[in-house]
Amino acid sequence: MSLPAALRRRTEAGLLVLVGLVVGFAYALASLGSSASLPADVVPFLGVVLGLFVAAHVAVRRLAPRADPLLVPLAVLLNGLGYVFIARLDEELAGQQAAWTGVGVAAFVATLAVVRRVRVLERLRYTVGLVGVLLLLAPLAPGAGPAINGSKIWVRIGPVGFQPGEFAKLALAVFIAAYLVERRELLATAVRRIGPVRLPEPRHLAPLLVAWLFALVVMMFERDLGSALLFFVLFLTVTWVATGRAAYLVMGTGLFAAGALLAWRLFSHVQVRVDMWLDPWQDPTGRGYQIVQSAYALAWGGVGGTGLGLGIDGRIPYQETDFIFAIVGEELGLVGATAVVAAFVLLVGRGLHAASRIEDPFAKLLACGLTTLLGVQAFLIMGGVTRLLPLTGVTLPFVSYGGSSLVSNWVLVALLVRVSDQGATEPVAEASAQQVPATAGGPR
Amino acid sequence: MNGRIRRLGAALLVCYLALFGWLNRVMVLDAAQLNARPDNRRAVERDFNRPRGDVVSADGVLLAHSEEVEGRFRYQRTYPTGDLFAHVVGSYAFSFGADGVERTYGDDLAGRSADFQLRGFADPFSEEADVGTVALTLRADVQRVARDALGAREGSVVALDPRTGGILAMWSFPSYDPNPTSANDTLVAGAFREALDANPDKPRLARTYRERFFPGSTFKVVTAAAGLDAGRVDEAAPAYPSARSYTPPLTTKAIANFGGSTCGGTLAAILAVSCNSAFAQMGAETIGPDGMIAEAEDFGFGETPPIDLPQAVSSSFPADFGRRLSDGPEGSAGVFENTPGLAQAAIGQGDVSATPLQMALVAAAVANGGAIMAPHVLDEVRDHRGERVRGHADEVWRTATSPETAATLRRAMVGVVTDGTARAMAVDGWEVGAKTGTAQLGTVPPRSHAWIIAFAGPPGGVPEVAVAVVVEGQEGASEQTGGRVAAPIARAVVEAVRRAG
Repeated sequence: MSLPAALRRRTEAGLLVLVGLVVGFAYALASLGSSASLPADVVPFLGVVLGLFVAAHVAVRRLAPRADPLLVPLAVLLNGLGYVFIARLDEELAGQQAAWTGVGVAAFVATLAVVRRVRVLERLRYTVGLVGVLLLLAPLAPGAGPAINGSKIWVRIGPVGFQPGEFAKLALAVFIAAYLVERRELLATAVRRIGPVRLPEPRHLAPLLVAWLFALVVMMFERDLGSALLFFVLFLTVTWVATGRAAYLVMGTGLFAAGALLAWRLFSHVQVRVDMWLDPWQDPTGRGYQIVQSAYALAWGGVGGTGLGLGIDGRIPYQETDFIFAIVGEELGLVGATAVVAAFVLLVGRGLHAASRIEDPFAKLLACGLTTLLGVQAFLIMGGVTRLLPLTGVTLPFVSYGGSSLVSNWVLVALLVRVSDQGATEPVAEASAQQVPATAGGPR
Repeated sequence: MNGRIRRLGAALLVCYLALFGWLNRVMVLDAAQLNARPDNRRAVERDFNRPRGDVVSADGVLLAHSEEVEGRFRYQRTYPTGDLFAHVVGSYAFSFGADGVERTYGDDLAGRSADFQLRGFADPFSEEADVGTVALTLRADVQRVARDALGAREGSVVALDPRTGGILAMWSFPSYDPNPTSANDTLVAGAFREALDANPDKPRLARTYRERFFPGSTFKVVTAAAGLDAGRVDEAAPAYPSARSYTPPLTTKAIANFGGSTCGGTLAAILAVSCNSAFAQMGAETIGPDGMIAEAEDFGFGETPPIDLPQAVSSSFPADFGRRLSDGPEGSAGVFENTPGLAQAAIGQGDVSATPLQMALVAAAVANGGAIMAPHVLDEVRDHRGERVRGHADEVWRTATSPETAATLRRAMVGVVTDGTARAMAVDGWEVGAKTGTAQLGTVPPRSHAWIIAFAGPPGGVPEVAVAVVVEGQEGASEQTGGRVAAPIARAVVEAVRRAG
């Protein structure tokens, strides 16, 4: 059923050319719209961008020739479109974002080069897990970095600040996948009956509680609602996929509700988020300003948008990062916003497809976890910006300005590419999967 | 596990579908409502980056114009005549939105009204921005005369053409310069606006159509019309007794004539000297509540005049004077619970209040054979080539009274100028009718609003101009006050209209 490797790569190359044209045109239009002249740097810009994309494509050809042909073009599309909007909003940030794109693509290539087999990560699970926890808690170390807008999520090393949480999520996804591969039989089968309800053994609930506590720590001390939520959803989803026990979902949801209620009771900033979600117009020039202006930007965009570079920017705080989707909506309209949503749907679809194709349970769970991270994060911030959900400050993957986010998402896509390549390289008969538990030490 | 992966995919897909549905709601279904929210400045921001048409007076003076500027927006709205037309043209400010003509004809000025959109379809490749020029019926020369004549006294002047309802001048003091409050720099605009709003004299208030005053004796014209229309009064009868005062039934409080004078007689005589005792008795006994209430309504009291300016207010006359208590003297309309109040209302005191615009319309009704034309400031909308796109369709707002009654009142009001309290209104070669008023404010020392309403034009024809002038809070409370203070202002305006031809 699967396409031969050469055809996959030709498809990818073709899609990349298409994406390159789209991004190049968008860049030229945005410049025309905001300054009524073609930018002098349109050619060098396109050269650099296309060069990076070609590098990514060549790396995939060499290092993962059977990988899914849609993953890289989709990432490139979102990355390129995000760059166009950042360049249109703030030239200085655009230079930095271009540099981060370079670093991101380099990280993508490096990840493919280093992680030749997904199993490498499984062996390093405890190291990776420890690194993840350290990264998660690093901003809390004294003198690590400043608290910005109340969130303590930054670490400053020399002149470069970064958000270790973005990388911690990847490390934790690796750890959780590996941990569950080891324990999933136990977690799935060991049950205690309480009346009609079958609950997992209390000691197997410990990991869930630990994850929950971690999320609470992140939320309370780093004041990073979005990351806490993502981390918890990641853990819950992967646990459920691994064990198939709905009880984990039910208890997880219960724990989440308890945590959310606790946060709402304890923290004024959480209350503000909820209040402004319910009715931002109770304080349209103060606490609700961002949400109100975002709604106005989206409404102003309408179906077709104002056109690139023709929107009225500068009204929404954090328009380059958390709220970039509102600017996309204003200038590209419902059509463009839907295209971005569709790109994420496709990315999620390809990620889960890779997960379902591969036999190795660790790789399967890893791909599930990574895809969930990407999909849920994009959904959280697009939903927050449009007031479908309360606002949780996370970046829109690939599109928002921000080095840590961009680089970590390129690594994430590299891992998905690796999983999809491996899944296509080692087609194992469906039947052999059933033999695994038997040989793994079932009672004879 | 693949089954669960599919379910995970389905769950995420549901999330994204919800997001897509929600996007449709925010960006399409609710878009118009969100765009129209008053705190949403996007439409205004767009408009400040586009040209906007001029506002010009009937005599070709530029009243509002958009200049191309450097800075936050491409255009800055300017008002070359400063405070002269602030209450009519209004202002168009990024921080505070639009008022006056800038608001009512904002779509024409922006080239966004239906007329311009249709033209846009017809000529889609036109390079020139097709925005409308709004030409007003007001004349800058007449407006200047009104301003200079009123001077630094709080008050209002309204002059209009009774034949069409077109406003010729509409000035009230104090006014304000709309240029600084319309500055694109919101800090500058905000500071000026705050200072204006803190001023106790309320310079931003358009007193001519947004403020009500006791009309005083000018209201006697409406009372006289009520008597004539009810068939209970004509030029020969009744002859009201010569008296110093009139005491209505149910009270001991007498309504005195001005300066303790004695007056009485038939309609022309009592209107000429503005006889309080006679008109109070006419309203309270000859006409009665029903006739008075109906006539005030016919003249437009209780309803906002349909002028093409925002936030005009209605004038008011009491809607009820209580139950009928007895028949009263032979031939009278009867005694009602609040007949004393009716007697006060009949001379424009008590619970009667009117805008200067409304009182100008009373004079216009008499001048135009009883029909009040809908007052308006728009003459026509022109395109960028100066061609007429749309004119104002003149229409009758109220039929205040019959042509016969109007003719009788006209003779009586001309008599006020030739033989009565408004001699100062006489204009050589023109037929002028007027009614003065002194609305007592009941303060110590006595103060009053000095009023005059008048019409004027070549003899025999339909008068070309109707005027109302009120000068607020003048010292004294003599009936001479209206004639002395307000009449010269009204005459200057009438003469300016006559010069303008």
